[in-house]
Amino acid sequence: MNDIATEEVAPPAKPQPRITACAAPYWQYAKEEKLVLPYCSECEASFYYPRLWCPSCFNQDIIWKQLSGKGKVYSFSVIYQSPLPSYQADLPYVLAIIELEEGPRMMANVLHCDVDKVCVDMAVKVLFEARGDMKIPQFQPA
Amino acid sequence: MSYTSPVAIAAVSEMKPGRFPDMDGYDLYIEVIRQFLAEWSLKPTDIQGLLACPSGMAGGGSNDIFVHEQLYEEMGIQPLFADTMNAGGSTYGLMVQRAALAIQQGKVESVLCVGAGKFPKVSTGGAESMARMVSHEIYEFPYGTFIPALYAQVATRHMHEYGTTVEQLAEVCVSTREWALLNPDASTYGSEALTVEKVRQSRPIASPFNLYDCSIPLEGGAAFLVCSEAYAKRLNKQPAYVLGMGEFHNHRNIHQAASLTDIGCSKSAQQAYTMAGLSPSDIDFAEIYDAFSINPLVFMEELGLCPQGKGGEFFQSGAARPGGDFPVNTFGGLLSFGHTGDASGMSMIVEGIRQIMGIAGERQLDKANAGIVHSYGGMMSEHSTLILGRSAS
Ligand SMILES: [Zn+2]
Repeated sequence: MNDIATEEVAPPAKPQPRITACAAPYWQYAKEEKLVLPYCSECEASFYYPRLWCPSCFNQDIIWKQLSGKGKVYSFSVIYQSPLPSYQADLPYVLAIIELEEGPRMMANVLHCDVDKVCVDMAVKVLFEARGDMKIPQFQPA
Repeated sequence: MSYTSPVAIAAVSEMKPGRFPDMDGYDLYIEVIRQFLAEWSLKPTDIQGLLACPSGMAGGGSNDIFVHEQLYEEMGIQPLFADTMNAGGSTYGLMVQRAALAIQQGKVESVLCVGAGKFPKVSTGGAESMARMVSHEIYEFPYGTFIPALYAQVATRHMHEYGTTVEQLAEVCVSTREWALLNPDASTYGSEALTVEKVRQSRPIASPFNLYDCSIPLEGGAAFLVCSEAYAKRLNKQPAYVLGMGEFHNHRNIHQAASLTDIGCSKSAQQAYTMAGLSPSDIDFAEIYDAFSINPLVFMEELGLCPQGKGGEFFQSGAARPGGDFPVNTFGGLLSFGHTGDASGMSMIVEGIRQIMGIAGERQLDKANAGIVHSYGGMMSEHSTLILGRSAS
């Protein structure tokens, strides 16, 4: 039974988002590595996160529009201690609020970057990280 | 909203925070009520209304959303006004507001507002269940959220916009610890004073927060009785009058807040000042919900008690400390008194009441004619501001 100690134990899988009906296109585009958000033609603005109506004007006539994938760090924290088993191997990691070029803000990790180099207003661009059979948007230095 | 007949808080009691492994939420509730009634020589029949909050939310799994039913049955009363309500840390501030409206409507003359809180151990899955509770299940939690890191977004942004420093954040911890050393019920009473260096040398949790920038997870509970003026005066020569109240519900998930430096507190504060007919210069002290060191710093600004962007300088000046010009969190704050889970929103109200009543012991302020109490729920999502005073007008 010695081999148990030397066996590679796979780290627990990171959380996979639940797909709601109104967000199905968002996740389908993400799988194709495209950042596509609902767009309100009344407000002429994209919004995050996907929901049944525009949160500014209640317009329910939503179209899906691809974004540039460029943005900047609005705020962030470097996490040194996390309760989540699936994130232990990533410590320290960056939890950030990203402001997209088109306006909406979203939460994400900043990847492929020395945690000491992350700062507010840093330019970032989207990339996609596999979560099971899905992909979720993440960001890295532009 | 007009505010005609005065409402006042006539009695108050709080358990010394601690760990109570043999007590569940109900047991804590009963102990809080037992202590409250004993301390003020009251009987359950003195209570006409009852507001309670689920105690097991942070403890996980308890089905105590009907806690008010259990409590009035055990007390042997049949209230004319009762509910179990929850707005996170702002629950108890909003209880005062709901109770005041019921009293002014003439439904009841007294409402017991009561809270008890369990706090799961961070190490036993508690931190994960709490991260799930305060971050969006789909659009935040999958990114490895953690409560300190969510509050840290506010701190980092404040530092960026106003040049606030980690040393200024640490000053908040130093100041509240000084008050805790004057409060025998504080969990850090009898410990040593903090210094900026000690805070900065404590272990990093989520930048810019180190361990001492975070409140101390404990368990406990508190109760107070909101009354009509006539009823209050029968029980207490110096009740705490509720001069002003305001509430505002802004967002739920932190990434959805339109601004991280104007997060909704100013709107509830403005209502409270208007109702009280007072301005920030009339206020003698502040009791502010402080889950993390950034909170009092941001809220001092939003409450209009220091200029926007100057919260860091305010705490650095020493004004908030014992003997300072404008005392803040005189009970030691959640940072040094202890954070009692679902009941944490009680502690700053309890202290505001005690300072106004003049029963705050060694830490009693010389000047406590009017005080402001701000609490919030969620990720600084929903806000309650109360202005308490010694006289009805
Ligand atoms: Zn719209």
